Amino acid sequence: MVAILERRSLRDFDWLTSVLAIAIACFGIWQIHNAVPTASYWTKQIIGLGIATFAFLVVAFTDYRRIIEAAPIFYGFGLLLLFLVLTPLGVEVNGQKAWLWLPVVGQFQPSEFAKIPTVLMLAKYFGDRKPVPLKFKELLIGGAILAGPVGLIMLEPDAGQAITYFPLLAAVLFLSAIKVRYIVATLLAAAILIPTSYYVGVQSGVIKQYQRQRIEAIINPEAVDPRGFGYHTIQSMITVGKGGLAGIQGDTETSQSVLKFLPEPQTDFIFAVTAEHTGFIGCVSLLLAYALLLSRLIAGAREANDRAGMLVIMSIAAGLAFQIFMNIGMTLGILPVIGVPLPLMSAGLSAMLATFIAIGFVVSIKMRRFVN
Amino acid sequence: MKLREQAQNLGIRIGTIQVVAFLLLAVLGVRLYYLQIVRGDYFQERAENQRIRLIPIPAPRGAIFDRNGNILVDSRPTFNVVISKEPLKTIDTAERIPQYSRGLSLEPQVVTERLNAINKQTDFETLILKDNASMQDIAWVEAHSLEYPELRVELQPQRFYPHGTYMAHILGYVGEISPKQLESERWTGLRPGDIIGKGGLEEYYDEFLRGRPGYRKVIVDSRGRIQSEIEVVPPQAGQDLITTLDLDLQMAAERQIENSASKRGTILAMDPRNGEMLVMASQPSFDPNVFVQGSKTREGRKQIAEYWQDEERPLYNRAIQGRYPPGSTWKIPMSVGGFQSGAMTDTSNAFACGGGILIGSKFTKCMGSHGAPTLIPAIARSCNGYYYRLGLKMEIEGIIDMIETFEYDRKTGIDLPNEKIGQTPKSWRPIVEKREGRWPDIRTVYASIGQDTVVVTPISLIRTISAVGNFGRMYVPHFLKEFRPIAATEHFEERPGFGFQKPEPKIIEMTAGQQKMIAQGMADAVTGGTARVVNIPGFDVAAKTGTAQDGDPKAGRKDHAWIVTFAPAFSPEISVIGLIENVGFGGTHAGPAVKGVYEAYLAKKNPQPAEPTEVAKR
Repeated sequence: MVAILERRSLRDFDWLTSVLAIAIACFGIWQIHNAVPTASYWTKQIIGLGIATFAFLVVAFTDYRRIIEAAPIFYGFGLLLLFLVLTPLGVEVNGQKAWLWLPVVGQFQPSEFAKIPTVLMLAKYFGDRKPVPLKFKELLIGGAILAGPVGLIMLEPDAGQAITYFPLLAAVLFLSAIKVRYIVATLLAAAILIPTSYYVGVQSGVIKQYQRQRIEAIINPEAVDPRGFGYHTIQSMITVGKGGLAGIQGDTETSQSVLKFLPEPQTDFIFAVTAEHTGFIGCVSLLLAYALLLSRLIAGAREANDRAGMLVIMSIAAGLAFQIFMNIGMTLGILPVIGVPLPLMSAGLSAMLATFIAIGFVVSIKMRRFVN
Repeated sequence: MKLREQAQNLGIRIGTIQVVAFLLLAVLGVRLYYLQIVRGDYFQERAENQRIRLIPIPAPRGAIFDRNGNILVDSRPTFNVVISKEPLKTIDTAERIPQYSRGLSLEPQVVTERLNAINKQTDFETLILKDNASMQDIAWVEAHSLEYPELRVELQPQRFYPHGTYMAHILGYVGEISPKQLESERWTGLRPGDIIGKGGLEEYYDEFLRGRPGYRKVIVDSRGRIQSEIEVVPPQAGQDLITTLDLDLQMAAERQIENSASKRGTILAMDPRNGEMLVMASQPSFDPNVFVQGSKTREGRKQIAEYWQDEERPLYNRAIQGRYPPGSTWKIPMSVGGFQSGAMTDTSNAFACGGGILIGSKFTKCMGSHGAPTLIPAIARSCNGYYYRLGLKMEIEGIIDMIETFEYDRKTGIDLPNEKIGQTPKSWRPIVEKREGRWPDIRTVYASIGQDTVVVTPISLIRTISAVGNFGRMYVPHFLKEFRPIAATEHFEERPGFGFQKPEPKIIEMTAGQQKMIAQGMADAVTGGTARVVNIPGFDVAAKTGTAQDGDPKAGRKDHAWIVTFAPAFSPEISVIGLIENVGFGGTHAGPAVKGVYEAYLAKKNPQPAEPTEVAKR
């Protein structure tokens, strides 16, 4: 029985998705090396990839249904970790308490990991419901599940991470038969309310000068303040543009990151490094790789055996797509500078591990699509 | 689709998410195309501009020598603390003001000025924050290199004037170009903080003395720290200037003014045969080193302010900017004018002294009673009555013709900036005629002996005296003997050598006999007249003294003492004039000063063993 399962598992294992994710991560390690060749970020990232691959395999070969059953426990544990960040166990970096130090485990970022229990919790709740139009009460419960981690993350405060939680819920609600008129109404309200509240906020002084500059820096980075908020955007755009068609091809000594013009090159601005070193060709290849990965995930969702599995995959896929767009959009100067890592590329063990665990779930769900 | 939930359009909803995700990726692709393909070259250039910086390498300024190769000005190494603009862009410069001010002992006001100046520059250039940095300053900058990456210590040659206050007016000094000068056409291409000549030869010949700076092209990081060097262009030095000055004579002249009663005055010497200036001493004077080193320290600024406020006007070059009544020295050009106007001739040149002259009801006295002298004794004994009558015969038009002949109505053209022009009956006549209705005879009488409407610069007077001695050949006085050439380099063109550009003399019309009579009169003044004080046995000096009233005689200020000379009397090779302010009679006070210069001249010309004199003294 076990042997049969194993053989069948191997046959149904999603090799393409796995190899694609690992390939993107390896490409990322190369770019981290390009960003700061003299620092040890890239070697750490190799170790991180090893750990992440192991965790990925463990999750992939575990029955996701049992994990979804235990979702409330994981969810509670996730909230506990996020809470601990706010206690003296939390480590403050650049005015943000986003890190937690624990004995044996070391230092990590709970806000990255807490996405998984949040997705599972949402999937558990919305996976059991009947296929009828979404009720208002259900909407509120979905919002409450999200409010726990997001609230704690906002206390750190880490607005960038908090924002990445919203697409998780949005995807689940969208796929849980929320009425189209609600969606249209929400989009309309956003289109009207966001500019209006921005205007009112500026006029009344609720939106501070620096916040306003950060937003206006997107519209015209040169005019706002090239030394302040516009600086990161301008330097990022210069770095990307400098890459041209084929990149600088090894001329690392005068690269934007080595000369420290590009801030945070190994994390938030890793895509700018990619653009500088591999040019338009490398960037488009990476975008295509992401597109392929996302379509593999979504294809898996279509084949999922149950509703909860489908929701887990779609929620994860939506989260990844959103984060990719936020990060690269910021790098290309079309979105404000918000510290969101680029999935599979940015240096950082927590994000790498969390992403591989999430993909592990997807593979696990796909692998069990023929099993009941 | 395994989940059969067609009622919910689940498949369509999943598809919608997929399409949205792909659309977002497509947006990123389009933006990438715009940044990398469409504007790739632009961003590449911007990246290059921000990482490449040109660090100027200052060029050594040409040295200045006297005619015998003695150094008058050169440069010696000093250290500057310089500031780069790029690292300052991301910080609040206001915070730096007290920090720099404390660390480098600078006035906060100076630091503010510097920081304002650097804002006007292009990005990758540097500006001197403090020059002549002390060892403490250098140590402070090195110790704070992490906190203030914008600061750096650079070696720079600094101008040094070894003779201090001597020749300061001729040499001038150097300093940073002023904002106003930066806008002028003469200094286009220079940047704030560049050093240019100010005053004297340093200013007049700045373009030639100034070298052409080189630069280092380097790659810097975002904080302005140098990562590597791409190219070095070495500077080209400025041209060395050989002047016509004679340091020994100059020092003799300087000491003579120092030892005079008022310690104020000017002594000039030139070679009448070509206009080369051998001496130009003007005292009181200033120390150019104070301007070079001290303009940014409290003590230096105080000293400079004192120079400006000093009532004795040490910054003013009496030789070319001072305007004095020439007194009886004026009788020399008057004599030439007398011949030229036909008021007297070689054979008929006697005028009555009369002890003075009566104009209307006012009797203007002569200093003595000279009978009816001819020209030679009139000059030798300085007979005023003679010149009253000569002047009246020439009429004011004749005097004005003489003024034009000797060019008192314009600059001499000496190669120094800010030369002044004297005032003469030519410039006064329209004013007087407007005010008094006519030009009165009494003013002609006064103008005949260099008073009232006549004030001239010493430089214009020595030019006249030299021309009279040199048989009517009048040269433009000048200091430039030669600019040494500089060979071409890989990056700079050759700079050819050259001499003074106006070597041709103006010819003053007079016969040999007339010239000889005037020279004889001046020689007689030395041997038996008013200028006996400059009598040097074995060396025929021709001289004319003068005593010039300083303002209203009732004010009680003593007269200025004048003497104008050339020697040897009948084949002059040197002319010397002296003016000592507010001391009294010319012969008594200015005479010894000029004699001191002649003694130095003769000591050089005929070097004699020192022993006999020593023995004689014992």
